[in-house]
Amino acid sequence: MATVMTLHKSPHRTELLQGTLDMLILRTLLFGPAHGHQIAKHIQRTTEDVLQVEHGSLYPALHRMERKGWIISKWETPKDRNREFKYYRLTPPGRKQLASEESRWKRLTAAVATLMWPAPGDPS
Amino acid sequence: MNLWNWFRSRLAGFRKRQGREKELDREMESHLGLEVEEQLESGLSPEEARYAARRAFGNIRLVREDVHAIWGAVWLERLAGHARYAARSLLKNPGFTVIAVLTLALGIGANTAIFSTIDALMLQPLPFSEPDQLLRIYSTKDGTRVGGINSAGGPSPMDVRDFAESSHSFQKMVVYDTWRKNVSFGSSAGEPEQMRVGLVPAAYFEVLDIQPVMGRLFTQDENQVGKNFVAAISARLWKDRFASDSAILGREIRINDEPYTIVAVMPDSIPEWMEPWRPGLIEVWTPFAFADVWSESSRGSRGYCALARMKPGVSLEEAQAELRTIAAALATTHPVDQGIGVMVRRVSDTRVGELRPMLTLLMGAVSLILLIACVNLANLVMARNSARQRELAVRAALGAGRSELIRQLLAETLLLSLMGGAVGLTLAQIGLAGLARMHPGDLPQLDSIGIDWRVLAFTLLVSLATSLLFGVAPALTGTRLNLVDALKQGGRSGSSGRPTQRLRNALVVTELAMSLMLLVGATLLTRSIIELGRQHLGIRQDHLLKGHIYIPGVRYPNPGAITRFCDAFRTRVRAVPGVIEATVTTVYPPHGGWTQMLNIPGHPFARIQDIPSAQFGVADAHLLETLGIPLLERRDFAESDSATSPPVALISEEFKRRYFPTEDPVGRQIHIGPPPFLQIPPGADITDFADVTVIGVAGDFRNAGLALPPEPQITVLYSQHPLVNYGFKDIVIRTASEPRLLVPEIRRQLHDLDPDMPFAEVQTMDEVVEAETGGQRFTTVLLASFAAAGLVLAAVGIYGVVSFLVAQRKQELAVRIAMGANRVNVVWLVLKQGLETAALGAAIGLFGAWTAQKLVKGLLFGISPVDRLTFLGAAAFLLTVAAIASAIPGVRVLKIDPAQTLRQD
Repeated sequence: MATVMTLHKSPHRTELLQGTLDMLILRTLLFGPAHGHQIAKHIQRTTEDVLQVEHGSLYPALHRMERKGWIISKWETPKDRNREFKYYRLTPPGRKQLASEESRWKRLTAAVATLMWPAPGDPS
Repeated sequence: MNLWNWFRSRLAGFRKRQGREKELDREMESHLGLEVEEQLESGLSPEEARYAARRAFGNIRLVREDVHAIWGAVWLERLAGHARYAARSLLKNPGFTVIAVLTLALGIGANTAIFSTIDALMLQPLPFSEPDQLLRIYSTKDGTRVGGINSAGGPSPMDVRDFAESSHSFQKMVVYDTWRKNVSFGSSAGEPEQMRVGLVPAAYFEVLDIQPVMGRLFTQDENQVGKNFVAAISARLWKDRFASDSAILGREIRINDEPYTIVAVMPDSIPEWMEPWRPGLIEVWTPFAFADVWSESSRGSRGYCALARMKPGVSLEEAQAELRTIAAALATTHPVDQGIGVMVRRVSDTRVGELRPMLTLLMGAVSLILLIACVNLANLVMARNSARQRELAVRAALGAGRSELIRQLLAETLLLSLMGGAVGLTLAQIGLAGLARMHPGDLPQLDSIGIDWRVLAFTLLVSLATSLLFGVAPALTGTRLNLVDALKQGGRSGSSGRPTQRLRNALVVTELAMSLMLLVGATLLTRSIIELGRQHLGIRQDHLLKGHIYIPGVRYPNPGAITRFCDAFRTRVRAVPGVIEATVTTVYPPHGGWTQMLNIPGHPFARIQDIPSAQFGVADAHLLETLGIPLLERRDFAESDSATSPPVALISEEFKRRYFPTEDPVGRQIHIGPPPFLQIPPGADITDFADVTVIGVAGDFRNAGLALPPEPQITVLYSQHPLVNYGFKDIVIRTASEPRLLVPEIRRQLHDLDPDMPFAEVQTMDEVVEAETGGQRFTTVLLASFAAAGLVLAAVGIYGVVSFLVAQRKQELAVRIAMGANRVNVVWLVLKQGLETAALGAAIGLFGAWTAQKLVKGLLFGISPVDRLTFLGAAAFLLTVAAIASAIPGVRVLKIDPAQTLRQD
């Protein structure tokens, strides 16, 4: 599946795991409902443009997660606009999924960190 | 209902699918729009802004494809997930799964096998045009068919001629006959064999609407003796014996050593069940040429075959009524037609012959099995799903949508049904093979029956619908209504309202009642078969072999030659090592020849019906010794009774009892033939032929069929009666060892004597008797296996109810035990409920069996359809099984640990 996130304008184009993009989206939705453009912008802004999501790649991910029941969607008109946007929001299973993704991610980064920068006194 | 709602939402979802594409496009467009706006704000030109937005978004077409893939993949993923989950949840509860699958399999398998059979035997359309117009005509005497089951039972040709002349309901009518004859196809086409030959006028094929493949039908002229040496053969015979030789017409075959010219090849469209009484393919036909059938003196000789085709629009009842009127008129003008009626049947209704009532019974029985299986399934699924209500509620609370739960239950039900269907299909295949092997004698078509897929699909659907209706639907009402309740109540192990439980009990009562009905039916039939088997034939049945020979008139032109041949054959057979005795005869159980009118001096009678008659046959002097019939008074036939000595006769005990109750019959004269005032034109009636002197009284034997008491029997020597010394003879041989082993040697002896004479219809006496009861045994074995299946299912049903009861009342029972109740009393509390259900079921079942007595009555011999012992015994047996089935879960009560149970949940 081509749901990849790429780091644009960077010498190292890195492909991230599908689960990671899911986690970022779920995390974004933790603050409240958002539509696709908002999610993309939020990820971009909060990572200070380090992670630039190819906007299109969000949609397969969103639809997949909706099918899995982690998020639900609804067309709504925001107060400051006269057009409808499709808003996504988190469901309880989505929260659970986010929690497990987070802990997995933490374990992964912690493992990588210990490998890269062993704590002083560590025998290795 | 929930299922309906679910279905509607599915349907709506399907319609939405197209909308979904548009929605995705709209979503992406709005995204691009926002991005363009943002880029414009940052100062790009509109064109640059659009370009930047596109670049940030990536390839729209690729994205669209990805999303589509997800829609599909997720659907598949879910399906696989459901199936996996369903399989896991079924595996977790192997007891339930095995029982449910077996229940389904039994119901589906038995029904598929039986209904496939019945469809093939009774419901398939006939291979004739307008088959509903085709009727077979039978003669009746005092309301029952003439000749019994061992005759074609049709009217005499003279009667048929009058029927045809005075009726208006028919297009065409035909009378014909079938004979066993020795047929040889010339030296190039193999050995001669005994075949059944159709003696038919052209009208036979015209009534059936069959045209020759090549050649022509017989002409009217060819129905005259002397001009009748033409034959039609079947296409199959043409292919097998003549390699489909295109120059077949004009070739010769020999029938009873007389040459016949082939004038037609007929298509293979006449099925083997077509001719009454003795099924089998007829592959050779010759004209219906008899010197004497079309004369007034033969009006009384019935038992021919008769077919008719009704005019379009005429109903069976109209045709029957018209023939009745004509028959009644004939009875007033012809004394021999007195008391003779007529009966018609659609040809399509004659195809299963005597087995029809049995097949109907089996059809009923197997439907009961399906019902019982469905009841069981309903109970099982209901119990399981209501016990799982808590699980379902938990899953619902955790956010599983209702549709998700429904899908889950559906997946389980489908998986169960598929497994049941697969096992059931296997059972059906085994069953059909078994049916074909049992081969009830007169149903040759059984061999070619395959699974009827429509029946399989139907039974599968019925069971699927049952589990959906009784299992899934109530479980779902549960999930919707009492999400909270279920969780709360669930603390006290599962919940099912009173109504559900009452429904479950009612279902089990029904199932017990139905299985008791099956049990009673099977027991009655079994006892009837045993009774039939116990019927003493009046002979020593073991180690007897019989075979049929036809001694053709061409090479054995007079009765003396026939007698000499028979004597020579008997002497040769007698000399074969292992042969104890042999007799050439037309008389052996269970048939005693034909019914013959007699004239016994000193026996006046007032009415035609009172004319003395007896079973009459001819034999040689070794009949009694070979068959093992005891001689009760005076002497047996002897070799010294010859063609030149005074004619003698043996009578049976029943004969003496009926016609000489007080006097000594030995030495009395009997005239074989009707009394003088019935005298038919001289020379015409060959059965009016002689005076005989009674020389002895022999024991009775079954001479009117297995199920009827012995009729009076009189036997004479064929050597003394040339007029009845026909070429048709049987030889009966008593052997010292296994009779079948001697067959090749006996064949060789016959071949040595006359190489062109086939030894036909070879059977042991045990096989003869077995063939007579074939249909009965067939039904009995099937019904017994249904009863066994029904009993198992019912036991499972009651086991289920009681175990459910125990599970549900565990808390209450634990409290009772904790408070010091006697455990045995507690067990009894549970058992009692099972037994009460069983007793109610048994009572209803007995009533049902009592009302169904008409169904089995005609199939029973020597036992009443409401036999008390059978009824009570079957009920007692059912109750015992029910008690055991309830005791197994009941005993679990003993293992309840009150402390632990009360702490649970």
